Amino acid sequence: MQLRLKNFTKTFDGLTVIDNLDLTVESGEMMALLGPSGCGKSTTLFTICGIHRMNGGTLHFGERDVSDLPSQKRNVGVVFQNYALYPHMNIRENIAFPLRVQKLDTATINRKVGEIAELVHIPELLGRRPAQLSGGQQQRVALARALVRQPDVLLLDEPLANLDAKLRLEMRSEIRRIQLETGITAILVTHDQVEAMSMCDRIALMKDGKIVQLSAPDQMYNDPVDTFVAGFLGNPPISYLDANVADGQFQTGGGGIAISDALKPKVSGQIQLGIRPEYFGPQFGSGLQGKISFVETQGREDLYNVTLSNGAVLRSIQPSGRRLKLGETVDWGVDADHALAFTTDGARI
Amino acid sequence: MPRFNALGFGFLAPAMIVVTLFFLAPVILTVFFAFTNMSTSTGITGGEYLLTQSSLREVRARSVSEETVQKLESTVYAVDEAGLARLAAARDAATADELAALHGGAEFTSRREMERALKDLRENRIRSTRDRKTLADLFTTSVMDERFQTETEFRTALSAANISEPDQSELVEVAYTGWTWTTENMRLLFSLDSSWRYAANTVFYVVLTLSFNVGFGLFLAISTFYLPAPIANTFRTIWFLPRILPPVLYVLMWYWLTWDTGIISSFMGLFGVSPRNWMLDTATNAWVVIILINGFVGASLGMILFSSAIKTIPDSMLYASEVDGANRWQQIRFIILPQLRWPILFTSSYQTLSLLTSFEYILLATDGGPGGATEVWALAAYHTALNNYGGNLQYGLGAAYALVLVVIGIVTSALYLRFFNFKELVSKPRIEQ
Repeated sequence: MQLRLKNFTKTFDGLTVIDNLDLTVESGEMMALLGPSGCGKSTTLFTICGIHRMNGGTLHFGERDVSDLPSQKRNVGVVFQNYALYPHMNIRENIAFPLRVQKLDTATINRKVGEIAELVHIPELLGRRPAQLSGGQQQRVALARALVRQPDVLLLDEPLANLDAKLRLEMRSEIRRIQLETGITAILVTHDQVEAMSMCDRIALMKDGKIVQLSAPDQMYNDPVDTFVAGFLGNPPISYLDANVADGQFQTGGGGIAISDALKPKVSGQIQLGIRPEYFGPQFGSGLQGKISFVETQGREDLYNVTLSNGAVLRSIQPSGRRLKLGETVDWGVDADHALAFTTDGARI
Repeated sequence: MPRFNALGFGFLAPAMIVVTLFFLAPVILTVFFAFTNMSTSTGITGGEYLLTQSSLREVRARSVSEETVQKLESTVYAVDEAGLARLAAARDAATADELAALHGGAEFTSRREMERALKDLRENRIRSTRDRKTLADLFTTSVMDERFQTETEFRTALSAANISEPDQSELVEVAYTGWTWTTENMRLLFSLDSSWRYAANTVFYVVLTLSFNVGFGLFLAISTFYLPAPIANTFRTIWFLPRILPPVLYVLMWYWLTWDTGIISSFMGLFGVSPRNWMLDTATNAWVVIILINGFVGASLGMILFSSAIKTIPDSMLYASEVDGANRWQQIRFIILPQLRWPILFTSSYQTLSLLTSFEYILLATDGGPGGATEVWALAAYHTALNNYGGNLQYGLGAAYALVLVVIGIVTSALYLRFFNFKELVSKPRIEQ
């Protein structure tokens, strides 16, 4: 079911947190609300499920206007960061709760709970209590409880934040699998770009209560609208160089970088160059001289920081095995087609 | 290894002194008093030995020989060594010698005969009748109406009156005016109709007050939880007032409310209801007032405990129940109340104990009235031991009443400690919220 948020405004004690936000999530789509803490992503989520009231704007689930409905009547499923399972009920009762308050008959409830437990792979846990489950299992229960009454939209508030790294990887694909199997419209709130990119069809990157960019993960990565977006996506992050356009080259402190054909007509004067670590290295020729100032071995790859002669630092990620030493002098090149150019105040050129 | 620490003991000492002085000592004294027949008439120090006409009735009830009773009842005047010595001291040796010569060893069964014997004296004539009457008394061997400070003195007197050794022991017990050890209080406690009625009153009082406390406390806690914070805090403060008000003032307000010229009477007067004392008119009135007085005080404590327990329920859990479709009532019924299970149990058991032993509000309000209708066990203990209408304060029996409460208190506290498993209660939760 399509979800449409129009002109959404939210204030807390007179302070406007979100101002005139528009967001449309297509039916069956999984959308990530990504952003740093305090950007308003959780507020948006809590407003969609009705826990917070809107101060302005409208919210539609399909054709249904739910702007003024209390959360009980919105028919949304929510998975909270701490799962918010009811500790005094066993798993079956937890999952059955949304049906129980609708006063469905026991047979229907049991059937639906059984089905959803199969879907999230926990049929053997139904008799236990939340305290007896691991984090990942609790997560599955929370998902089952959110999905059992077939909500119009599924909202996930930092669902993986409380899990350890291994479980996080597992639950990432599990949540996506379940979302795809049920075909439900979903919104995932997260501050982790990897989660957002790996799980979602589209990402809305938020900053200070506004959506900065809304696009598919690969597009957002390769074609960011500004330095904030470029810097938020990618790990290790992009590095920036101040550069001057002269002699058909970007002139930087450490040397010259070729300008791609696409950029050539658009750039002039003082700019910022954004270079992702995977596009800087010996495989791209030479031209930038610097010293290795930091080495981080990550097993499959090595990460190097190269300090150029003017003091700017570029990151480079290389297949492991080269074993460069701290302090070594290198002369590496940049993949000109993938260098991103920004104006000095951060907007993409 | 635990290290002996003088400073630690120093810090503990004041607490230990207070516990000993205000808890252990009263408990030990209660046990001690409960097994004595102490009362106003016995005093709490020792006593004397005194046989009176009224104690003769008790003497007859015991296994004392008829002869002894006769001896006690009849006053015998014996002209013996002791009597003669007393006479010699009162008048002179010559008189005594002459009487010894005339009537030595004689026994008279009435004062008249003794006086006649004194009249027989020729050499040392006693002229005045009044003197003869006084001197006759010197030869009396009766132990009646005479105070003896020690048992030995009393026994000597009894021996002098030719009372047999076993009877003497019986008489010593009857004549003793001080307190003695006895289990009579316990027997009395379980055989008196009134004590069973006090027990029934107590159960009635505790159950109803507790239900009111917990029910109303829950109602206040939940209703204020859903109110905006400033209003909720105002309400909580208002409801807390009865507890911080001095009990005497608080009950005085109830007097104003319920007196036959009080607020209720005046108000009901508008509808033609004749004024009456709404507190003491009937037993029902008294109970309603007692339960409300105690209930409002107790409910405020329940409210505070339950409110803070509700606040510990994570917001997300309440949000979750709302998006799951639960309305207010379902949220209370399925989410809040189940999580208040422990606070409710704790409050109930704690207040059961304090209600069992507390009587100050009843004392101030109805003083057990009307006609003992609201006399609960603790109040009965107080009345028996410390405020008896008859004036004879029965410390021993009162202590026996109190001892029952002490035993119930200690046993139930021990059970609660086990039941609540305090170690587990204070352990960290397994789910981090």
